[in-house]
Amino acid sequence: MADFVNLYLVNGIVLGCVYGLGAIGITMIFGILRFGHFAHGDMMTAGAYIALALVWASGMPVLWVLPLAMVLTAALGAGVHWAFYRPLERGTNSTIIIVIASFGVALMLRSAVQLFFGVDIVTYQRGFQTPIWIADTIRILPRHLWIIGLTVVIVIALHLFQTRSRLGKAMRAMSDNPALARISGIGTTKVVIAAWAIGGALAAAGGVFLGIDTQLSSQMGWNLILPMFAAAVLGGIGNPIGAALGALVVGIAEELVTYPWFGDPLISPAYKSAVSFAILVALLIWRPTGLTRGRVF
Amino acid sequence: MTRLLDARGLFAGYGGMDILRDCTITVSAREMVVIVGPNGAGKSTAMKAIFGLVKIRDGRVVFDGLDITNAPPDSLASRGLAYVPQEHNVFATMTVEENLDMGAYTRRSGVAEAKSRVFELLPALALTRRQRAGELSGGQRQMVAIGRALMMQPKLLMLDEPSAGLSPKVLTEILEAIATINAAGVAILMVEQNAKAALAMAHRGYVLAGGANRFEGPGRELLANQEVAASFLGG
Repeated sequence: MADFVNLYLVNGIVLGCVYGLGAIGITMIFGILRFGHFAHGDMMTAGAYIALALVWASGMPVLWVLPLAMVLTAALGAGVHWAFYRPLERGTNSTIIIVIASFGVALMLRSAVQLFFGVDIVTYQRGFQTPIWIADTIRILPRHLWIIGLTVVIVIALHLFQTRSRLGKAMRAMSDNPALARISGIGTTKVVIAAWAIGGALAAAGGVFLGIDTQLSSQMGWNLILPMFAAAVLGGIGNPIGAALGALVVGIAEELVTYPWFGDPLISPAYKSAVSFAILVALLIWRPTGLTRGRVF
Repeated sequence: MTRLLDARGLFAGYGGMDILRDCTITVSAREMVVIVGPNGAGKSTAMKAIFGLVKIRDGRVVFDGLDITNAPPDSLASRGLAYVPQEHNVFATMTVEENLDMGAYTRRSGVAEAKSRVFELLPALALTRRQRAGELSGGQRQMVAIGRALMMQPKLLMLDEPSAGLSPKVLTEILEAIATINAAGVAILMVEQNAKAALAMAHRGYVLAGGANRFEGPGRELLANQEVAASFLGG
């Protein structure tokens, strides 16, 4: 039992937090701009490395520079939209062109990271963390507590923003029914920039959390794309809170399939990324609206 | 009466094909005007063209003294012009109250007053305010759509087939609500399939055919007109 929680469940929740912070941005951008943003994983990589640069420059612990890294990555998100997607959106009404362009942006972001930081694996901080023991059986690493706690705070703040603030409600309206949003006088520009800024900021948090939990590499974000899309679909496309919950399910599922339920691990950990793929395929066949009442585009 | 809307000589359509061919619609302050006509006559297109949703190739739309020809639709709510489309006219994933809030998006103050005014005009809405609009019945949804449009306290409310897909009983309720709104001083421009019921309550009506004006006049006169009745009102 203790092993189950310590070695599998907690890891699954932490992984779910990382996926969730990315999946929220993906689902938001899909809801408002109607395209799958395949550069989102690399935006997380960029956010993680921006934080690394800030750590090197300031000498402060990474969690202290996280807010600034989030702001800078928010600006990066808005900038990427302004430089790449917006001109394409104006020049064409074909979504697939923008989707393919996002693969290009993914390559560019990754190459930029490799150019400045190299291709070797790096970490924010060397050393070993002593776990905290709870009731003598459950042990949890302080960094895991931080990741889970901060993710919960971010998701709650986002939920409040979306349900209480004028701009947040306008974002939901635009995602729900763009034509009616325009008729109601909701201008597109502000909502679109807000989606990129929030998507970027949360991507940075997700990237940094993954870096804290493991290490940084230029491939780190790209490897997350599939589970994050699975989480976004699971939560109902266009529904950020749904995406966060979907990510938790995907993250926990990926870890739990490697648990020795019947004496042996159910499947080899090497195949655990196939879990999100299986979830995605199953959902698209049987429940394309996601588990919550999302919508099909 | 002062002229509120003056859409004159409109030519408009999709992809280079004109659906409207010299169509003229005017509405005065506090007036209720109905557009009727056969399918494909360009009734909905006329509404969309006035609201900037279909590009006008020729002609002019003046609203409240301002030229709004091809103006972006998101700029019109704050000028006192509101539009309720026929379909997808509520934010289905949002509550009734949030739908109303979105109607008041460009309003910086007086949202609470506007909301209580809408609840006065459409009392049925107050009962469902916390429910998601997507869970409501067709008639209730239509009320939400009208309520959203009223939040900016428009001078002119444009309604595209408010009774589409509703049962006769609900149709009566909706038309009554529209009459109440008009009596409160809001001018109405409405496209309606139920031509007889709509013309009976309207001050004035237009019969469109082939994208152009065929007949116009006071609602009751059009109802009494043999030719209109024979060709457009189903005998």
